Amino acid sequence: MAKLKRRQRQRLIRWTQYVIFVLVVGLVAYAADWDTLRESFFRTDLIREMFPEVITVALRNTVVFTVLAFIFGLVLGTMLALMRLSQVAPYRWVATGYIELFRGLPALLVLFMVGYGIPNAFPNREIPGGVYGQVALGLGLTAAAYMAETIRAGIQAVPKGQLEAARTLGMSHSAAMRKIVIPQAFRIVIPPLTNEIILLTKDSSLAFVLGVTAGSIELTKFGGDLLNTHVNATPMVVAGACYLIITLPLSQLVRRLELRYNKAR
Amino acid sequence: MTQRTKLHRAALVLAATALAVSAGCAKEDAVTTESGVKLIKKDKLTVCTHLPYAPFQFKEGGKVVGFDVDVLDLVAKKLKIEQDIVDTPFEGIKSGQDLKTGKCDIAAAAMSITPERQKVIDFSEPYFNATQAMLVKAGAPYKTLADLKGKKVGAQASTTGLDYANKEAAANGYQVVDFKDLAAQQQALATGQIEAAINDLPVWADFIKKNTGKYAVAAEFDTGDQYGFGIKKDGNPELVKTVNEVLDTARQDGTYDAIYEKWIGKKPESKDNK
Repeated sequence: MAKLKRRQRQRLIRWTQYVIFVLVVGLVAYAADWDTLRESFFRTDLIREMFPEVITVALRNTVVFTVLAFIFGLVLGTMLALMRLSQVAPYRWVATGYIELFRGLPALLVLFMVGYGIPNAFPNREIPGGVYGQVALGLGLTAAAYMAETIRAGIQAVPKGQLEAARTLGMSHSAAMRKIVIPQAFRIVIPPLTNEIILLTKDSSLAFVLGVTAGSIELTKFGGDLLNTHVNATPMVVAGACYLIITLPLSQLVRRLELRYNKAR
Repeated sequence: MTQRTKLHRAALVLAATALAVSAGCAKEDAVTTESGVKLIKKDKLTVCTHLPYAPFQFKEGGKVVGFDVDVLDLVAKKLKIEQDIVDTPFEGIKSGQDLKTGKCDIAAAAMSITPERQKVIDFSEPYFNATQAMLVKAGAPYKTLADLKGKKVGAQASTTGLDYANKEAAANGYQVVDFKDLAAQQQALATGQIEAAINDLPVWADFIKKNTGKYAVAAEFDTGDQYGFGIKKDGNPELVKTVNEVLDTARQDGTYDAIYEKWIGKKPESKDNK
């Protein structure tokens, strides 16, 4: 074969890849037993049975758990970030200790501690909010550790000139932080924080270890129970789709925010 | 405002919030009914259980039903309240932690009474006789634990079945696989991940009924398991008394037999499920 020019060679390689791709997809589609797949993952009667509870109860609870944990984690995380950057050494030690501890522990373990450790240690007190409070606390404590680092990075990413200019204008350190630096820092950290919310959405599936009632059941346990009852994976497929209903729009939002931020810079 | 006043104001706000939060965190006083029974939630008998465990408790049509549920309905009726069921991992139930931390008033999870558990839980009188049994796929050649040498045997986490399986493992040479609940164990047997599964006999009987021809009980191990309802250790003696009274009445007036026949089947003449 005559030596092909570089561009022709590249085109040949690319077309070969297209052909291979189509062949593989075609082979898989042909070889797959569509009836068995449908029976295992797509039983319409089971799908119908799940509504409306899968949305009105399970999806709602997943969202509630996520939002509560996020708010708790955000407030605590901001405080920790400020403590990390503080001039007061003990604040820095406490914040660093907290962050290292909770970044190193699995969220599941923290939830066990919240569900069993704390009630045992403080027998006459309970965490307000019932299971919602416990999940918000357990997941929020872990999330705060991650968010603290993100927020700290955001605060440090605000150009030092901003703080200096604010001080020159007569603002105290805390006023400058509050009015000038932190608002700008938040604009920077919104994309990673949105990532954090997506992670929390998935961590909400751990809530079952604290015990569920019919009213507080979330998506994974809901799907899992039906999977057990009917010995069929269709409920899990539906539960998975519901998670994507939450996380896909959030991912889109992250991308749009990143674009907007990059344009604004 | 001066810097000092601002600082004082901030400190005051912080102190006030801390006080309010800690006060709000105080546990609501457990409600006590007129018979002296303590309940964590007014007008509700909060029950901890672990699903699924047919025929004792399982979900059907969105509701939790089963033998244990019906028996506790009798208790709830006596107290003129309703059951509120919490589905929670079995480890917390059998270790007494769920009762101790106030997650529920009573635990109904086909829980066997053992001396170890009695140290941390107040049990009602026994309400069901069970025994451990080994389930295999129909036609499998295993008849005893010794036949399973070198194979995998499944058991359910935190159950007396797991204890038994572990105890006999060294002598018989099989490997024990620990599953988080009954459904996982059943699936493992169905898909061949384990060759045999050890759990309570009535549970296997129900499973065989719902899957005719696919499974068989290869062996029974007379472990003398008796189920009891669990109540907070030294925390609620009136509830223990009420449950025992309800059980006695139910046995005498035939209600117990009716519930037994509904969920388990015809009672064998010789056995006395006392």
